[in-house]
Amino acid sequence: MIDIVFLTFKELMRRRFFAGAAIATALLVGITGWGFVYLNGIHTAHGAPVTHLEVLTMTAVLLILIAYLFSFLLAMAAVFIAAPSLANDIESGVLLPVLTRPMSRTEILAGKAVALAIVVAAYAFVTGAGEFVVVRAATGYLPPHPAEMLAFLALSGIVMIALALLLSTRMPALAASIVAIVLFIIARLGGIAQSIGTYYDNETVRHAGTITQLLLPSDAMWQAALYRMEPASMIASFSAAHVWPGPFFVTAPPPGAMLAWTIAWIGAMGLLAARSFELRDV
Amino acid sequence: MAYDNTPVIDVHRLAKRYGGVQALADLTLRVQRGEVFGFLGPNGAGKTTSVKLLVGLVHASAGSGSVLGYRLGDRRARKRLGYLPELFRYPDWLSAREVLHFHARVCGHPVTVRAVEDALLLVGLAARAGDRVATFSKGMQQRLGLAVALLGEPDLVVLDEPTSALDPSGRLEVREILHRLRASGTTVFLNSHLLTEVEQVCDRIAIVTKGRVVAQGTIAQILGARNAVRVRARANGAALEAVLERFGNVMHEDGALVVQGVENGRVPSMVNALVAANAEVFAVEPLSATLEERFLELTSERGR
Repeated sequence: MIDIVFLTFKELMRRRFFAGAAIATALLVGITGWGFVYLNGIHTAHGAPVTHLEVLTMTAVLLILIAYLFSFLLAMAAVFIAAPSLANDIESGVLLPVLTRPMSRTEILAGKAVALAIVVAAYAFVTGAGEFVVVRAATGYLPPHPAEMLAFLALSGIVMIALALLLSTRMPALAASIVAIVLFIIARLGGIAQSIGTYYDNETVRHAGTITQLLLPSDAMWQAALYRMEPASMIASFSAAHVWPGPFFVTAPPPGAMLAWTIAWIGAMGLLAARSFELRDV
Repeated sequence: MAYDNTPVIDVHRLAKRYGGVQALADLTLRVQRGEVFGFLGPNGAGKTTSVKLLVGLVHASAGSGSVLGYRLGDRRARKRLGYLPELFRYPDWLSAREVLHFHARVCGHPVTVRAVEDALLLVGLAARAGDRVATFSKGMQQRLGLAVALLGEPDLVVLDEPTSALDPSGRLEVREILHRLRASGTTVFLNSHLLTEVEQVCDRIAIVTKGRVVAQGTIAQILGARNAVRVRARANGAALEAVLERFGNVMHEDGALVVQGVENGRVPSMVNALVAANAEVFAVEPLSATLEERFLELTSERGR
């Protein structure tokens, strides 16, 4: 298995994924960093400089919006590297001589999954940490639980890797990628439905959202990450105002059991993918 | 070893169905240790499906069998198996040497750095060993595939159309490699539709068409089954043919008569009958078909 892990790293390096990701990260952190520096010096319409508290509030909100967009980017990156990793190797024939070696297909799949999970988690942590460092330097703001937030964000990416790998055991890379992205969006809409159902106390809508989140827990992990980015004052004000917080805020994290469910879900997807790959004619 | 006293390949009534398509209907064959075994058939006969069944890439719909003494698909057999697929593709972002080193690590037994270099030398890629596969021609990629298949001196080498992308000199080199493999006692299962290639290197062959084996044996056995005799004789034309028709179907060919369906043991009786009919007999020669003729005969019989 370890040979497949290293081979996958080497492929991503030779195909310039790391270089591309580094440039994308530098651009994201650089441009948003400049924006946050600029935010510090802006003035109100009346010419008065914004207060530090206003800067912190705006930064907290903007950082959540950036994280929201980055969570999409991370999901797509996870899907678009995971689906071709297996499906293209099967379709092109690259895997044929490897599959006749005394490794099980499960080992090959596990090797790819481990390598991809490490890469996606590293991408989330490096980009996220870079963003937090720059924002902290520019505004003095740091989310309440940055490490936990990034861990949940990375986990949402790993959920997408598991899904894309499962689909790619039976589908071409492009089809697997599209299906995975569509399911990701459905899960995100399910999260929004759940929040609406909770706010309006509508069980049907809430349960529909919950079921969606259980079927694909990427959004639950995003909500867990989101909750760890929100300052206590923000949560308190949303709770006190009794307004629907919208798709970018949550007033409570997903239940603790959701983390266990997500880990079990990833494991189950891995087992299903291994079974599907073992039984497939190549 | 587990397969010392057993055939290297022993499959019985293997069948494979893809949805509604019967790719392989009934494959029964046995390949002994040290044989170079040719597997012939027209396009769509089920050759590549058979090969993929043998190396464990697809699962049989029916039938059973063993490779190197282990049940089909058993990972233990793969430790002593080398395989060149018909669709030969290797990671284009690796160099030829890196491809071989990867296979050396995963082939299940120790392969030295020297063995990797020897394999590159054997297939004529030593000078390009450090170059990325992306820069290789199809022929060079097929040579790399051959090196991968031969790495670690496997007991069974399964080659699916190993010269399809090679020029004539490359084909000659592959034939020489096959002769060397036979000399070293390696069993080779050669899937090909290049009849001359098969005729030159194989000890035994099987001809498959429409998913069934229609002939199996040594080339001499398969060719000898034609039972035809060319007769050059002079007599009253009608009388000559009338005599010969008692022994088989008579056809005109290059100014002579060819009698088909004559068993060797009946040739003296046929000559006696000609002499008794006052024919002047100049030549009687048993005919053996070329492999191409026999192949076309067998595969078209099945097509009727």
